[in-house]
Amino acid sequence: SNAAPDALYWSAQMAAVSARRDRASFMRIYDHFAPRLQRYLRNLGVPESMADELVQEALLTLWRKAAMFDPARASLGTWLYRVARNLYIDHVRRQPHWLPIQDGLDRLDHAESARLDSQPESSVDQDILKQAIDRLPPVQAKLVRMCYLESKSHSEISAELDMPLGSVKSSLRRAFAKLQGSMRAPR
Amino acid sequence: MSPNHHLDDATLLSYSAGALPAALAVVASAHLERCTTCRARLLDADQIGGVLMQQQRVDLPSEEARVAMLARLDVEPALEPPAPPVDVVAEADPDRLPSALHPWFGHSLRALRWRRVAPGVQRILARDISGGDLMLLRIAPGSKLPLHSHRGNELTMILDGAYDDMLGHFGPGDVADLDGETNHQPVTSPGVPCICVAATDAPLKFSGWVARTLQPLFGF
Ligand SMILES: [Zn+2]
Ligand SMILES: [Zn+2]
Repeated sequence: SNAAPDALYWSAQMAAVSARRDRASFMRIYDHFAPRLQRYLRNLGVPESMADELVQEALLTLWRKAAMFDPARASLGTWLYRVARNLYIDHVRRQPHWLPIQDGLDRLDHAESARLDSQPESSVDQDILKQAIDRLPPVQAKLVRMCYLESKSHSEISAELDMPLGSVKSSLRRAFAKLQGSMRAPR
Repeated sequence: MSPNHHLDDATLLSYSAGALPAALAVVASAHLERCTTCRARLLDADQIGGVLMQQQRVDLPSEEARVAMLARLDVEPALEPPAPPVDVVAEADPDRLPSALHPWFGHSLRALRWRRVAPGVQRILARDISGGDLMLLRIAPGSKLPLHSHRGNELTMILDGAYDDMLGHFGPGDVADLDGETNHQPVTSPGVPCICVAATDAPLKFSGWVARTLQPLFGF
């Protein structure tokens, strides 16, 4: 919708949480993102009570780690997506040791952006990326959604759509190239 | 030194989506630890996930849920302590395995206990991994592996030594991200054994009678 708050708005809310433990700002973030994270997890097949629990855990992570949020690297939506995705893999897919490994990767990224003189490319305009997703050819759009919103592996997608594994992968590659192109396009 | 061979776009996308089989995800994590290029590409993939997550149509949270959330904040007053600095010295230690492999194989390359599975080939299988097979392979220098193709996905990362095949030269940190399209015959470099971590989500198919003889030895 046109009234959707932008990245600047969310980084201001995060700054208030980080600097002052501002609960009003925290609840603005909660009101917007909690239901979206909940829907995302429910789509992945997470039972309702567990999804509620994981959403609370994701927001608590934000409360504790607000100082780690760097708006120049990723939007708040992307940051929360990562947190929720990691909780899903740890709690639901039960891939052991996933959370510490992701923490390690995060720390490497932080160490690196601190070392670099120039700020990394700022997070992409969400609207431009959203439009690029909407413009994907139907098959590519379907595969991208099966990946992200149903958490299906290449082999599962291949079996479900009766499509060769190689075609699944090449379609995903083409989709990723298009979406990356939209992120890099001059604004 | 940064790697020359990287994760496939389709692999990165699935990693970001939390949809990569567990064994492949371990090898992908090991490469990501050593590859800033792929970490930047992963952030792109995560942005796609972020947009898709936010596109969901939703209602406002209930008053009950809001109250429960605020109550949790009361018992979580303390800020997370600052993250410890990354141990850069340990990262550069050639004996140190990537962190993602520690739970499965320990920390040290030298401390590994190999089992011979074929002439010139030793292996350690990861136990209790769901979603595919995960193994370390140690292949004698100057060995020619049997020609084979891949029925599913196979992701291999070089930890020490090197090999060459039709796709190029693969040294430490490089990943070979292969599927059914590829039919290849790696030849390990002379000097030191080639040690790699490999994950598959389906058995390999070897061609020819020699390969059929070797296949049970590899146990793929
Ligand atoms: Zn890479
Ligand atoms: Zn192979």
